[in-house]
Amino acid sequence: MIEIMFGSLFAMLTSPQTMTLMLIGVLCGLIVGVTPGIGGRLSIALAIPFVFGMEMVSGAVFLLTMHAVNGTSGQISSIMFGVPGDGDDAATTLDGYPMAKRGEAGRALGASVTASGVGGIFGAVVLAVMIPVLEPVVMAFSPAEFFLMAMLGITFIAFLAGGNQIFKGIIVGFFGLALATVGTDPYTATPRFAGDFLFLWDGISLVTAVLAVFAIPEMIALSVRGGSIASVSMEGAKFSYRQLFEGVLEVPKHWWLALRCSVIGAVVGMIPGLGSNTAAWLAYGHAVQTSKNPERFGHGAVEGVMAPEFSSNAREGGSLLPTLFFGIPGSSGMAVLMGAFIILGIQPGPTMMTTQLPLVWTLIWALVVGNLIAVAFLMVIMRWAAVLTFVNGAILVPFIIVLAVIGSYVNEGQWENLIVLAAISVVGYGMLRFNWPRAPFVIGLVLGRISEESLHKALGLWGWQFFFRPLSLVLIALILSTIAFAVYKNLQQSKAVPQLRAAQ
Amino acid sequence: MMPSLTKYSNSIMTVFILAIFVVMLIIASRYPPGARFMPFVLGIPAVLLCLLQLALDARERRLTAKAAGLSDVEQAEEQASRLVGHRVHFDVGDMLLPKTDLDPREQIRRELIAWGYFFGFIAGIILFGFHISVPIFLVLFLRLRAHASWRMTIGLTAVASFVLFFAFENVLRVSLHAGFITERLMDLIGG
Repeated sequence: MIEIMFGSLFAMLTSPQTMTLMLIGVLCGLIVGVTPGIGGRLSIALAIPFVFGMEMVSGAVFLLTMHAVNGTSGQISSIMFGVPGDGDDAATTLDGYPMAKRGEAGRALGASVTASGVGGIFGAVVLAVMIPVLEPVVMAFSPAEFFLMAMLGITFIAFLAGGNQIFKGIIVGFFGLALATVGTDPYTATPRFAGDFLFLWDGISLVTAVLAVFAIPEMIALSVRGGSIASVSMEGAKFSYRQLFEGVLEVPKHWWLALRCSVIGAVVGMIPGLGSNTAAWLAYGHAVQTSKNPERFGHGAVEGVMAPEFSSNAREGGSLLPTLFFGIPGSSGMAVLMGAFIILGIQPGPTMMTTQLPLVWTLIWALVVGNLIAVAFLMVIMRWAAVLTFVNGAILVPFIIVLAVIGSYVNEGQWENLIVLAAISVVGYGMLRFNWPRAPFVIGLVLGRISEESLHKALGLWGWQFFFRPLSLVLIALILSTIAFAVYKNLQQSKAVPQLRAAQ
Repeated sequence: MMPSLTKYSNSIMTVFILAIFVVMLIIASRYPPGARFMPFVLGIPAVLLCLLQLALDARERRLTAKAAGLSDVEQAEEQASRLVGHRVHFDVGDMLLPKTDLDPREQIRRELIAWGYFFGFIAGIILFGFHISVPIFLVLFLRLRAHASWRMTIGLTAVASFVLFFAFENVLRVSLHAGFITERLMDLIGG
């Protein structure tokens, strides 16, 4: 184990190609993080065409570092201008912006960026520690359990997308699974839902579907919404490097808080569907509750800036756990990342514990090294990175659309994919427009083929009896209880309305 | 969340996906048993879930109608109360909540324009190829939609087109679609 662990680090650090790609990944991730309108999953979706045909390890390192450092630069606009780029950045805004207003923007940024980096590294450590613990659990899973795990993943993500949206989420997940059945059936060689269109016989391109569900609808929505945050004053952007360094030193001073909040983040990450939002707010709440002076929070407490950052970045390492070993993405970003891994030839599941362990360690080291590079990079370019916050969203739209369309085409080199892209984009926009969760769709699509194979294998091995295997029964119980809890929660919510009206 | 178009707009997506699953089941029923197994395993529960969702949509409409007479702040309080399970009061006094939603007609107009650009771009690529369509799309969008200056539009389009074509054709060695009309014209000129 020790040999694999350090062998992977040595191989990564001595590979000029991997290190160059990691640097590019870090830079792209930081730029995407600070630019309004482009989320982490969108950036991964847009980067997939560039890694197509790339060597597996280098491509995976590039994508993972790009995804992992995304949140590190996201808090710049929250602290400097009080404009959170994302949900988890909102927690940082509560204390970061008051600090900037009283002339401590540099201290807040130094603390938050370092906290983010430390959190990211801690998440990777948790992932590393969990490998030997999880090994017997993962190896105990059979094809039957993998099919049910896919169902559980969809149910979980659907539930956590919003308790009242559980059925919408499951329907969308089934839609993704159904779309994965397009193409030649692996058992009878019958072309399903492909008609005479030969390009569909290999199935719907995952890259095209991901771009269609995330990239195009987001860009259409951004184009419809328009605007930027350019009206915000640049006053808060003034800070000195001395302040930045003071902020960095706040992290070792609060090492105990760092440890506790990172654990919260990593654990939240391991539970599929609990977003970085939850991780950040849980850590913020914990910091307030355990503080000797909770009244300082909300008025510029440096702990309030660090706590969400420790947690939301530690979550990345935690969420790699279900993604890599169970094939259940921990978040929509991880779902897109998992799709990209599959395109690169990485098959999540038990083999990650056996034949692919060196790759797992490379990914863990990539998280550590990537975060270190990101923090160092940001310390230098912070002042200039802030300017990106002022980019007008409408100017970004055509470039991202062009990238998405080219990405969809180069994936298989077929112009027909552009029509598929346009068609699925309409469905994707419908989901966005009518507030349907989109993450379960990607998970369904990514897991579609694996689920079908697992189901066939399970039926071949045990017949319908596979539903009554002990582990299967546990998973079925989890699926049913998740749905039952969502229904119960909805009923409780609707009961609150008459009570409210009576009180009025 | 974007503004509602009609009373039944919350069911549009449900009906649309229900229709897709029904068509899927009809088509799958003609396949051999092995091939139709998975579409049936997914399609039948999905249809049932869509029907359940339609019922939930109707219930949501009823609840929304009940809240129609309330002000924005009261509606927000009611939503928050439903979420937390007890009464919530927002102490905002006379402050008006900022209105971020667009007028539904304006919303649809903007959406149609945005989709027009996108579909036009896709059609342009298929017919005229990437080399012609990408610069034209960028110029039109930047100038007419993003209201960028001519200098910025031309500069960004030139740099982006050069970088993209160089990256894909020279570095990644990907040959981009030339477009059916462009190919035909090139053949005519060449021939």
